[in-house]
Amino acid sequence: MLSILVCIKQVPDTQKAVFDPRTGVIDRSGTENIMNPDDLHALEMALSLKDEYGASVTAITMGPPQAADVLNEAHALGVDRCVLVSDQRFAGSDSLVTSKVLSRAIVKLGAYDIIVTGREAIDGNTAHVGFQLSEFLQIPLLAQIHKFKINKDSAIIERLYGHEYQKIQVRLPVLIVVGKHANRVRIPRLADIKTCTDKKIIVMTMNDIGGTEEEYGAAGSPTVVIETEIFSHKRGKEILSGDMNEIIDILVHRLKKHNILRY
Amino acid sequence: MIQKNIRRFASEVLEEWANVLDRDSKPLPPHVVREMGRLNIWGIQAPAQYGGAGLDTVGYSIVIEEISRVSAAVGLGVSVHNSVCLAPLLKFGTPEQVERFVPDLASGKKIGGFTVTEPQAGSDAASIQSTAVSDGDHYILNGQKTFVTNGGIGDVFLTAATVDTRKKAKGLALFIVEKSMDGFEVGKIEDMMGMRGNMVSELFFNNVRVPRENVLGSTEDGFRISMQTLDMGRIGIAAQALGIGTAAFEAAARYAMERKQFDRPVGTFQAVSFKLADMKTHLDAARLLIYRAANLKDRSLPYSAESAMCKLYASTTAMQACMEALQIFGGYGYVKDLPVERFFRDAKITEIYEGTSEIMKIIIGNEIIKQFGRL
Repeated sequence: MLSILVCIKQVPDTQKAVFDPRTGVIDRSGTENIMNPDDLHALEMALSLKDEYGASVTAITMGPPQAADVLNEAHALGVDRCVLVSDQRFAGSDSLVTSKVLSRAIVKLGAYDIIVTGREAIDGNTAHVGFQLSEFLQIPLLAQIHKFKINKDSAIIERLYGHEYQKIQVRLPVLIVVGKHANRVRIPRLADIKTCTDKKIIVMTMNDIGGTEEEYGAAGSPTVVIETEIFSHKRGKEILSGDMNEIIDILVHRLKKHNILRY
Repeated sequence: MIQKNIRRFASEVLEEWANVLDRDSKPLPPHVVREMGRLNIWGIQAPAQYGGAGLDTVGYSIVIEEISRVSAAVGLGVSVHNSVCLAPLLKFGTPEQVERFVPDLASGKKIGGFTVTEPQAGSDAASIQSTAVSDGDHYILNGQKTFVTNGGIGDVFLTAATVDTRKKAKGLALFIVEKSMDGFEVGKIEDMMGMRGNMVSELFFNNVRVPRENVLGSTEDGFRISMQTLDMGRIGIAAQALGIGTAAFEAAARYAMERKQFDRPVGTFQAVSFKLADMKTHLDAARLLIYRAANLKDRSLPYSAESAMCKLYASTTAMQACMEALQIFGGYGYVKDLPVERFFRDAKITEIYEGTSEIMKIIIGNEIIKQFGRL
């Protein structure tokens, strides 16, 4: 049977979050935590593969004890096993260390065929972890997945790559990165919502995954945040004037520059 | 998690149907009914072993509120099916009756209803004219029921009939009647002001032979079971009213912040913001009254008066919220292009069915008399 691992993350609901205008950082005290939206699509990808081919699906998250909430939600959706990688010594880890922690926990959990991650988390928006994880585990990675089929020990993947549509065959194990366009996330049954908190969550600490304290947390993280700015989205308006052919040329040039037109 | 996911179902699946069901007065398409079955919406409180979700009554109230927030007509169907058909079957049914009827009802394969009301018997439920005459292993049922929720689409109806007219309430029995039985007939589908997506209808029983094993409880138990069933049903109707009122409030609040008059959003005028403040306060109070009644029921404590209070308050609040929402929308609230007029039409009936507001006050009043009479 296929073994599928899905990396998920608990994040503050940034759509409802309040930002401190001075530091540009989210005020986490009054912000509700949710499962990262892309990760729901990663779970759905794994669960639909389970429906089609039969598989054991494991959801894994690194975070504080309350991150168990997203694992409960994963249980409600139909995941077979949930793992919380949690240790005070991991606090302050950047994306590189997070990937290191996850990769070591995954190796400890045993053999796997497919790892699925969401494209990016809405709190950091780095979109690093999937890529770094594939490096640590030394397995191929494919992103922007739409369809995923299994053929013996290979996966046949369809994806949108820029403006191209690609079909790729890759030997398992593989890591795939999915975004919100990959699928429609199922709604869990009420019965599964009711029982999801009764299900066991496996907890792993630094002692379980190995390594030294210096490798993890803020100490092990090379990333330094120099400044945070609140992103603002402004719409601009510009009226092109002059000869119609010139205007068209300018417009086509601009659209190409912004990768809206490619050919 | 219950609220979040049912809200998702309501907005992703139900919302596109809400106006269509109302406009065309037709029931949900079968594939949506099936999807609701998969999600356990037809068996919210039925135990998992029978294919239900086994939620408590607070969870049940949340589900009904969220569905009704988008489609009150669907909320009505779900509420009645769960709370006045499935729930009494589970509570008062024999193990055989439970095994026979609950799995199909909990999965939504069959839809249930509960029929007491007759042309001459509304609030005075004990004056039922439908009769059940013993005939060997069967009862022969004759009579007419009106305003039967789920009447046009239902498969199983708990039906009140009198086995002894002289005994009034004590002579009432509840029968599990199936659509497939000979002599069972669906009458006129009511052309209603609101809740038009529910096929509320008349039902006729012409010499329907109901097996003796289809009596729920004993033949003297009908009135008692019906009254207890309605206590439960009222929590559902209160939750439904709350859903409608909340939908009206949210629509009005959004509109009030968008609609500009005199160069500012109308919601920033005190005349409008006070309306919104009242709506929100009353809706939250109604929600707490509902959760209190639900919690008492879950702890197996008496909750009859509390259930009446939450139903009385939530339905009045819903009606008030819809009136104010319509007022805030102005002319746009009066046209069918926007859903506020539908909320308004749907809300009214919550003050009438499952016991009118006046009957609720009688129940609450009797409880006060009982309590203070003892001092």
